[in-house]
Amino acid sequence: MNYLLSSIGRKQLMGISGLIMTGFVGGHMAGNLSMFIGPEAFNSYGHAIVSNKPLLYGTEVVLLLALLTHFVMGIWLTRENKRARKSKYAKPTNGDKSAQFASKSMIYHGIALLGFIIWHLCTFKFGNHYDVTYDGVMMRDLFTLMVEKFNQPLYAAGYVVLMLTVGVHLSHGFSSSFQSLGFNHPRYTPKIKTLSFLYATVVALGFLSMPIYIYLVY
Amino acid sequence: MGGVTAERRNYKLKVWKQNGPDDSGHFEEIDAKNISPNQSFLEMLDQVNQELIESGKEPITFDHDCREGICGTCSLVINGNPHGPQKQVTTCQLHMRSFASGETIVIEPFRANSFPVVKDLMVDRSAFDHIIQAGGYISIKTGNAVDANSIPVGKEYADMAFNTATCIGCGGCVAACANSSAMLFTSAKISHLGLLPQGQPEHQDRVLNMVNAMDEAGFGNCSNTGACELACPKGISLENIARMNREYAKASLKSRS
Amino acid sequence: MNKLDSQVPSGSLDGLWTQHKFDMKLVNPANRRKFEVIVVGTGLAGASAAATLAEQGYKVKTFTFHDSPRRAHSIAAQGGINAAKNYQNDGDSVFRLFYDTVKGGDFRSREANVYRLAEVSSNIIDQCVAQGVPFAREYGGTLTNRSFGGAQVSRTFYARGQTGQQLLIGAYQAMSKQIANHSIENHVRKEMLDLVIVDGRARGIVVRDLTTGKLEKHTADAVVLCTGGYGNVFYLSTNAMNSNATAAWRCHRRGAYFANPCYTQIHPTCIPQSGEGQSKLTLMSESLRNDGRVWVPKDQGDKRHPREISDAERDYYLERVYPSFGNLAPRDVASRQAKYRVDEGKGVGETGVAVFLDFADAIKRYGEQKAHEGASQEEIIKLGKEVVSEKYGNLFQIYQQITGENPYEEPMRIYPAVHYTMGGLWVDYHLQSTIPGLFVAGEANFSDHGANRLGASALMQGLADGYFVIPYTVGNYLGSTKLDPVDTNNDAFKATEDETQSRINKLIGVKGSKSVDHFHKELGKIMWEYVGMARDKKGLEKTIEEIPKLREAFWNDVLIPGDPQAMNQELEKAGRVADFLELGELMARDALTREESCGGHFRSEYQTEDGEAKRDDNNFCHVAAWEWKGENQAQDRHREELTFENVKLATRSYK
Repeated sequence: MNYLLSSIGRKQLMGISGLIMTGFVGGHMAGNLSMFIGPEAFNSYGHAIVSNKPLLYGTEVVLLLALLTHFVMGIWLTRENKRARKSKYAKPTNGDKSAQFASKSMIYHGIALLGFIIWHLCTFKFGNHYDVTYDGVMMRDLFTLMVEKFNQPLYAAGYVVLMLTVGVHLSHGFSSSFQSLGFNHPRYTPKIKTLSFLYATVVALGFLSMPIYIYLVY
Repeated sequence: MGGVTAERRNYKLKVWKQNGPDDSGHFEEIDAKNISPNQSFLEMLDQVNQELIESGKEPITFDHDCREGICGTCSLVINGNPHGPQKQVTTCQLHMRSFASGETIVIEPFRANSFPVVKDLMVDRSAFDHIIQAGGYISIKTGNAVDANSIPVGKEYADMAFNTATCIGCGGCVAACANSSAMLFTSAKISHLGLLPQGQPEHQDRVLNMVNAMDEAGFGNCSNTGACELACPKGISLENIARMNREYAKASLKSRS
Repeated sequence: MNKLDSQVPSGSLDGLWTQHKFDMKLVNPANRRKFEVIVVGTGLAGASAAATLAEQGYKVKTFTFHDSPRRAHSIAAQGGINAAKNYQNDGDSVFRLFYDTVKGGDFRSREANVYRLAEVSSNIIDQCVAQGVPFAREYGGTLTNRSFGGAQVSRTFYARGQTGQQLLIGAYQAMSKQIANHSIENHVRKEMLDLVIVDGRARGIVVRDLTTGKLEKHTADAVVLCTGGYGNVFYLSTNAMNSNATAAWRCHRRGAYFANPCYTQIHPTCIPQSGEGQSKLTLMSESLRNDGRVWVPKDQGDKRHPREISDAERDYYLERVYPSFGNLAPRDVASRQAKYRVDEGKGVGETGVAVFLDFADAIKRYGEQKAHEGASQEEIIKLGKEVVSEKYGNLFQIYQQITGENPYEEPMRIYPAVHYTMGGLWVDYHLQSTIPGLFVAGEANFSDHGANRLGASALMQGLADGYFVIPYTVGNYLGSTKLDPVDTNNDAFKATEDETQSRINKLIGVKGSKSVDHFHKELGKIMWEYVGMARDKKGLEKTIEEIPKLREAFWNDVLIPGDPQAMNQELEKAGRVADFLELGELMARDALTREESCGGHFRSEYQTEDGEAKRDDNNFCHVAAWEWKGENQAQDRHREELTFENVKLATRSYK
């Protein structure tokens, strides 16, 4: 229990929950790439996932817990950090200037992403329901919903911006989790940083390619 | 020949004045005139103080002692940087040749709630002592030690331990960190003692107790931005924070209470 | 009764301390908690003594004017710490370390104390390693050593160039543990301003809380003073800015004899003063003289760039005067020769108060050794610089940081500086002063180094006193002395506090026109000129005339702004400088009455034909201990005769 209240314990919970979600977004993005094959592939993929109830609910519970942990710890730590220094310097420090933008602004894109997740769930999980039947199996037609949404220019643009935000958040969060969990090694840490950047880039590009593709093609 | 110069420079100082921890404090503009580029930053302040005194004013209060970069007493945030703009240099070893003539120099105390201002630029860093008291030692009663060479330490580990033991306890890391976190300081001591065989028996308790003391003192948390490492006059690495994180998780898991 | 009874037990040196530890009184562990011991100063000696006394069960109170015990100036010691471990199998032994130390001190130290120092030196290393002090090691994991001046064996343990820091942090941590379990009550930012004597015994101190300006009284059954040396009497020295003699001087005024105040060590390789604004001098390890060549231009006032001065126009004076030792002449000799050159008007640099230490030849030599045949001149120089950088890189960096000059390209400028004071409060074999219950350890006492300290011996002495001597002798005192309880309402406490307060009021009340530093600088100039590297009767007499005048000017014209009831750094300095103004005079008086040259004390009248120190063992083979007789009164000079039964008095020779 002391562990969960300690500065390091909470950082590590941030790290673990973050890594879970990091893994999830990668899988999510990869699965969604099926839309490039066509509506049937995309909808069948979605149907397969929702049909496997244990997997679905299990994943949802884990993700919800991770999200909640990440959110609560993030707010808690940030509040504490703000309180640790009440008076501000007249000039920014070198450390402040050289620190990557992402590392200093995690709380802000974090909150933005929380908003996005809610919006995203409202649209796709709890949003309009269209049906489609392939080979006699009736399933939800998410592809049509997606085309409907991404054809609104503002919607698509907002999506693109938020996917870039995901990339920024991940680029620091992924490698930073390793540091928080105690993994720092002169040989491996630079590679983890590179990997973190690449992963964030791939995930962001993968995700934002979709609204752009839909907007241009459909 | 460099360093041989009759050149004198003038500066505008914006100095933080604060009459005790409860005072709100403010900046005061003070001229620093006729400064030789060969003077150290603190000697520049000495000279300014002499003029203030002899014109009947109160001098600027600041902490300093050895002026060799080793005691960790001097502090100051100069133009936004703990120990000034140069890397791995303490304020006392910083020289005025690093500042262009006519420049405005902003001088502030180390700012952190756990380092309350005593007066002007002098802060109270006893929170660091409390962290050490919580476990930053190896218990060995005087006279009980075995022969020094009966505890061999491989050179790699001895060197790693040494690199962390160079910490001078100045608090520059806390001053630089956006969250006023003391993790670089705490992790340096945990690493120094934890990397040596002599430190093993108390290692688990040490990690738990020192982190606890650090949290209780009200320091912020680490956001892995690396500002502390950059400001550290002894170049202590962020790797130590990771080691502390790891050892803390292990110790928490293993702890029987 | 002669107060200067050294209390050295009789018997052969070997085993003397062991036997004496058995003979001394013990305090029952259950009773130790009832005894309060005050330790003033938390450097190597203070921190180690406090930690050990607390471990033994005494109630310890520590006081430092720093914000933390870890800041004491012991931290700045670079080179290392000697110990007779003989790990290098080069013939070292306790006796050899003892012998080297007595000889290095020019036969002006007490044999029994030095022998004990050599004996416990090995325990220090064991203790420190067990505490986690990261000494340098071989690849095989064992400890390594280096050589230092004044010895033919490798017995110096080191932690890169930060040995003092690592040892102090070790002692600080041991102390921290005792603070955590409430065995030590640690007082920071509090400066001792006086000693309280009740019934002839040291029973407490008066301190000023530097943050609030309030005076406090603290009682004790014994007081241990570990407050360092008085090198700052010279204003410019390698000491820290706040190092001062006030605690020791106040004890002296209360009756503790001050021994050999004239023994000061001047270190030859320091970065010279670069102007009026300079506040302190920085030491460059003496190891640089292994490869650097010291020179000045042959012509007076030759201000050309050193690289434009040809070899024929240079005077490599150490090589000229000491053909066999050359640049490796001992500290005091090298220092004096530099002074002679500057006095002749051949000094270099902006101020003309420096000599060159040149690595150009070393770079060339090393380069040629490493280069393949037919290598170009540039390649040779490049390789040579690499070798020099490996050996001295960090020192070159410090030099460049401070001077802004690149010592790989142009010669370093160096000049001697005050570094250490061998003199201090007189103590007996128990490290007890002439005031019963007042013990003195580390640089603050006079005991072990005679007239000259060897490199890497200061750290050894501080820790020997603190870890291994004080805890026994203080116990013996407490166990064998009947001490009535005292509290701070006692008249002596009140009187001492009042005196301290009125002194502060007097300082503040002067309201003159000049800053404290002004007087300190003036004092420093006088001291450096006449009581520095070389002294003579005329100069010393002049000093004894000048200092009282300066003292009077100080008390009539010093200006201390600000509130005495708050943080006031000028007031702190003023009290210290006021004491330096008395101590400086005593140093001159001691130097004047010691009509011989020995170690760090060089009287120009007493030298051999070739300019070496000439001791007078018939008349001066004694410790001079001075007794305070009151304000502006001449002090009494007492003698403790030194007898040498285990080493033969001989002349040091470097030919």
